[in-house]
Amino acid sequence: MRVGVVCPYSFDVPGGVQFHVRDLAEHLIGRGHEVSVLAPADDDTPVPAYVVPAGRAVPVPYNGSVARLNFGPVSAGRVRKWLAEGGFDVLHIHEPITPSLSILALWQATGPIVATFHTSTLRSRAMQAAYPVMRPSLEKISARIAVSEDARQTVTTHIGGDAVVIPNGVYVDVFARAEPAPLWQGTADAPTIAFVGRLDESRKGLHVLCDAVPQVLRSVPGARFLIAGRGDVDAALERLDPTARAACTFLGEVSDHDKAALLRSVDVYVAPQTGGESFGVVLVEAMSAGATVLASDLDAFRRVLDDGALGVLFAVGDGAGLADSLLALLADPARRARLRAAAGVAVRRYDWSVVGAEVLEVFETVSYGAQSVAEDPQSGRFARWRRP
Amino acid sequence: MNLPEWLLGLLVLALLAWYLSFSAARIDRLHHRVEGGRSALDAQLVRRAEAAVELAGSGALDPASGLLVAGAATDALDAGELADAGTPPTHAGEPSRETAESDLSHALQLALDPDLVTAMREDPIGAALLERLRASCHRVQLARRFHNDAVTDATRVRAKPIARWARLAGRAQAPQTFEMDDEPPVALTR
Repeated sequence: MRVGVVCPYSFDVPGGVQFHVRDLAEHLIGRGHEVSVLAPADDDTPVPAYVVPAGRAVPVPYNGSVARLNFGPVSAGRVRKWLAEGGFDVLHIHEPITPSLSILALWQATGPIVATFHTSTLRSRAMQAAYPVMRPSLEKISARIAVSEDARQTVTTHIGGDAVVIPNGVYVDVFARAEPAPLWQGTADAPTIAFVGRLDESRKGLHVLCDAVPQVLRSVPGARFLIAGRGDVDAALERLDPTARAACTFLGEVSDHDKAALLRSVDVYVAPQTGGESFGVVLVEAMSAGATVLASDLDAFRRVLDDGALGVLFAVGDGAGLADSLLALLADPARRARLRAAAGVAVRRYDWSVVGAEVLEVFETVSYGAQSVAEDPQSGRFARWRRP
Repeated sequence: MNLPEWLLGLLVLALLAWYLSFSAARIDRLHHRVEGGRSALDAQLVRRAEAAVELAGSGALDPASGLLVAGAATDALDAGELADAGTPPTHAGEPSRETAESDLSHALQLALDPDLVTAMREDPIGAALLERLRASCHRVQLARRFHNDAVTDATRVRAKPIARWARLAGRAQAPQTFEMDDEPPVALTR
């Protein structure tokens, strides 16, 4: 099967959608399908062989931060050319409601089109304002996939219709078989606790963890906190007193390999996110690696942790609650082993072998008996005005 | 002629009273000018955002640009409503009004490329839309300049020793200038 995949975000910047697109493309190629991924990138940026660069992404203020997106006539032209040359059996568009390549592809294509919705936060007012223009494009989607129940609810409330839930995939064995790093491994007296996420993005909840550190150190003075992620370390350090500072190690942004080793080495992985999470891939990665997960009880995390059967939940934003739960976990190795065993079985559901097959089933269903993807003759500037 | 001392004292007092009341009235007038300028600016910013929403929903832009403009315009409207209610933005994702309005200028700049503007001007509906947007961008610039002038004047008078000593400004908050990038899209000004 020839599959065209559109990613709205630049591969230069790490992000959940980009990782998902990359892993899915590689999985499908591994299964013998032909995959071409259209993504924002300069022509001279090194990209994997299956990626077609759609030109430089422009940094624009979007959604309260600066996003690198592709839009405008030049990008639209690149998308049209890619569609015409691709001859795809299925077009798979990610995050169609972003002002970038995805919506441009949806606008200009017709045929079997599958769209995956990743986010559970939608800017509904902006969506309403642009709806007259978006609707004809959105109507062309033959099948919608949501990566989580929360993302599905966003689709049903704001866009209408329904979506099948197919979670984000994880290469479980990459994490399960990763080599632990002795430096990051804990002992009974000095257990290690990991945090992974942007330091300066408040919804990632580093401040909640920082609140909890002193309380944890009072009971377990040897505990070590390993904090991985981009951001301003000094600003994060300011929130900690000197004792707490000594217990925290900032690792900066870690590679995929180091992330797997980190999660494989630590005793507990903490996910103190305060919102905006649609799924929680890192939780699945941590469980795959055999770390016990302690997470804030966001709906998304509650679902991934099966209401606490696979990991421990604490109230969102509650530093003291985090500390209490963490101390209880550290004091009870038997409970940790039980949770780890249950999680090790449950994560198989998220392995790419399972998730990839589910995505392919959707592709096969929509492309059955259908013509291949072609250019939509009705797209183009002023199309809406010309139409009767 | 030799004035009695008590008359001289009375004269000085009367002069002081007159000067105080004159300065108070002056500050009050300047405060009113600031308020008037602020509400004019407010109205123009809303009109500009509405013109941008109209552009986003018109089908003239490609949908990616349309969504970008729609997002920036609705953010600006939201930030304006919050500012009117007197509540500053609370969570991280919410820009201040000045940032939101600058972001809208930036989004319009990026979305309106010269070829598109030329094509739109050939169509009567498109031309009218662009004209509304151009006029509102220009009026935002004017209204902001007038408002900031008023703020500068009011700040200067409030800073005078007599005004500070006699607390002539009362409990009125110190007026703030409105700082934003109000450059209209290049393609529109040609």
